[in-house]
Amino acid sequence: MKKLMALLLALMMTLSLVACGGGESEGSADAPASNVEAGLLRVAALYDITTMDVAQTTDNYMVPMNIFDRLFEVEVQKDGSTEIVGSLCESYSVSDDGLTYTFKLRDGVVFSNGSGLEASDVQYTFERLLTAGGVNDDIPLEVLGAEELKSGAADTLAGFKVTSDVDFSITLAAPNAGFIAELTGPAMSIVDRETMAEVQNFGIACEDTIGTGPYKITEWVVNDHYTLEYNDKYWGEAPSVKKMVVSIIPDASTQNLMYQNGELDILDLEYLDSAIVESTYKTAYADRIISGSRVGLTYLAMNANHEYLSDVKVRKAVQMAVDVDTIVASVYAGDAIVENGIIPTGVWGHNDQLQRPAYSVENAKKLLADAGYAEGEVKFELAMDSSSSSNTQLVYQLIQQQLKDAGILVEIKPYDESSWLDLRKSGEMDAFIANWTMDYNDPANIMYTFYGSAEKTKLRSLNYADEEIMARVAAASGITDDAERMAEYQALEKKIVEEDAAWVPLLGNMHLFALGERVESFVPYWAGYSNFYAKDVQLG
Amino acid sequence: MSNIIRRIGQTVVILLGVALLIFIMLRIIPGNAIVTMMGEHANAEAIERMTAELGLDQPFYVQFWRYITGVFSGDLGTSYSLNRPVGELIATSFPNTARLAIAAALFAWVLGIVCGIIAAVRKNGILDHLFMGVSLLGVSVPVFMVAMVLQYLLAYKLDLFPISSGNAGAIGYVLPAIALGWNSAGSIARLTRSTLAEVLQEDYIDTARAKGLRRLPVITRHALRNAVLPVITMMAVQLSSLLSGAVICETVFSINGIGRLAVQAIEGRDIPLLQGTILFSTALVILGNLVADCLYSLLDPRIRKEV
Repeated sequence: MKKLMALLLALMMTLSLVACGGGESEGSADAPASNVEAGLLRVAALYDITTMDVAQTTDNYMVPMNIFDRLFEVEVQKDGSTEIVGSLCESYSVSDDGLTYTFKLRDGVVFSNGSGLEASDVQYTFERLLTAGGVNDDIPLEVLGAEELKSGAADTLAGFKVTSDVDFSITLAAPNAGFIAELTGPAMSIVDRETMAEVQNFGIACEDTIGTGPYKITEWVVNDHYTLEYNDKYWGEAPSVKKMVVSIIPDASTQNLMYQNGELDILDLEYLDSAIVESTYKTAYADRIISGSRVGLTYLAMNANHEYLSDVKVRKAVQMAVDVDTIVASVYAGDAIVENGIIPTGVWGHNDQLQRPAYSVENAKKLLADAGYAEGEVKFELAMDSSSSSNTQLVYQLIQQQLKDAGILVEIKPYDESSWLDLRKSGEMDAFIANWTMDYNDPANIMYTFYGSAEKTKLRSLNYADEEIMARVAAASGITDDAERMAEYQALEKKIVEEDAAWVPLLGNMHLFALGERVESFVPYWAGYSNFYAKDVQLG
Repeated sequence: MSNIIRRIGQTVVILLGVALLIFIMLRIIPGNAIVTMMGEHANAEAIERMTAELGLDQPFYVQFWRYITGVFSGDLGTSYSLNRPVGELIATSFPNTARLAIAAALFAWVLGIVCGIIAAVRKNGILDHLFMGVSLLGVSVPVFMVAMVLQYLLAYKLDLFPISSGNAGAIGYVLPAIALGWNSAGSIARLTRSTLAEVLQEDYIDTARAKGLRRLPVITRHALRNAVLPVITMMAVQLSSLLSGAVICETVFSINGIGRLAVQAIEGRDIPLLQGTILFSTALVILGNLVADCLYSLLDPRIRKEV
């Protein structure tokens, strides 16, 4: 019987291995560090990208950021400050009325297929964003004649004039002092007109994804991995990373073990349990952690159409009852800063003099009593996206407890991401906590997106009611004098947050990454995205 | 022949019913496929435009008819979120799930049957108690726990196997197969033991031994053959279930399989992808039952005529 059992077990393992006859390792993220090919960067992502086309996505930016270039980029300085620098654009000028921008392209830039970059490629990029039926047409919509092109009433973008292969001008429908900043966003990646003319379904085939950036995509196995390799026609300095493999590892714990086993060169700590970050990474790997400021903020949004939250006194009581210092200390272990307004720290126009109402349970209770509410009478639902990070979920729980102390009863209701987004966009969500990370470094990116019109505030279930303020927010980007524009944004911010108590600003957290032994230095994207430029990684 | 035609007819009716059920359910549950697909910035106008482009503003019966005629012509539609044909996505993921399921099933069946036989033969002995105790652990401990313990001990601590199976080849499937098969092995062992122990009490077993047959041939040729029928039913159900995707194992070990594809479809309200994965899984379950019926008829002549 013993022999039979041994035979069967051996047979079982043999058959199992035969049955598992999958492909052999392609040298992605599973080789020990010592055997890794030179120039290879191994990283992991929880989710796969869904497209490489910026016209169809607002967050799948890892590939576009590395394959394509923009006219301008945001460069992080040594002191942590940021500066807008020319990328494909060599120089530009603005007309006195602030409407017309004249650009000159960098000379000698070619796409990875060898065709030269021309002004017509930039024109095509703008026109395509308007006509592709996508989700990133906000910026080209500012150009004169954009509405006509989008609606089909015109064939070309009237405000875009190509004057030579490298010269062109863009005339806006209304002045926008933040226009250059907007052009740094990944959404404004410049594509090759000639290639695009032959492509049917752009965004899913590697061979169609042609850019001027430092890398080209050579392989994409859906839900498994994708590979970027150095584009030897790149116009800039050759990067240290010659090849990057992004493996799709949907379990953060598995990513954690892979990093500790030397199988990953950069680990994004965002989705890792905060207890593991504190107990393991901040001790054993303390010298391998770098932090990038997440230029954005976490906020608590309140629906002004709600039975109780429609009362400004209730909203102010909520502001007073939330102790952000405790949240920063207990959930983020100090790796976050308290935000008091709408325009986050690190964004041009941020007001560091803005004060939030002092945390006081007693004052919050008194305010509710003065408004005629009995203790426990004010109730609302705090809708939680169940795919939120563990830290955000802890913030929900802490705020629920803090509000309960002030006599406000909150029910945390988890929704899956799709239901949460659908409910929020319907304008019917009572309240929620979410994060906003800046797309470009201008206050308009957050002020206009949240408070630029009645439709925009409804999309975020804020239902802010002051139409005059919303009209001023929409008009602020047209102020060409920087000082005047900043003063206007700060005045609007003060009115919305302090007087109207439209939302509760919470915090801006640091985005932590752990670097493997092979990585000498790494500069995260200026806004603190999980996506980053592989050229900003220096391998040892 | 008429039986085969009847079974095929039944299969088509079941698949149609499942397709209709999914169609109805996906329109009842909260969440909007287009809102999720277009993301954070999309305004009402863009959502409306895309809804019309995809024909989701059409009456229910029009959408269902379009879908079902597509399925019969081999077109499962295009995934909203991944922008690729659903058939292509399933074809890419299924081989990974099949490898995992077959490896897990082989592990479970061989281990379960061997342990079950030994336990039955040594009924109430030390091995019986040991195997049944371990098998109880097998059916009780959840898959994610086994997966994480195996991953931590054998892959991370001892470095015997890769932590992530993604591109690791055959060796990468050993731990997921054990983790996934552990539970099934426990069930198979317990069932084999109870049915075989019962058969071993029958008179014809004593007759066979009295005729001078050795113990092993009696067990394998006479007892096991009669005891194995319910075990085969369980094996068929297990295999169908494993082939439908093992979400937890696929997630922990980063295997790009059907289970993860289905979860992705649910999260993104990707209607064509979800319909495709569920229909495919349903077809597998039906096929599994058909195979079990055929095996029954091979092993038991009494059933052959009925099938």
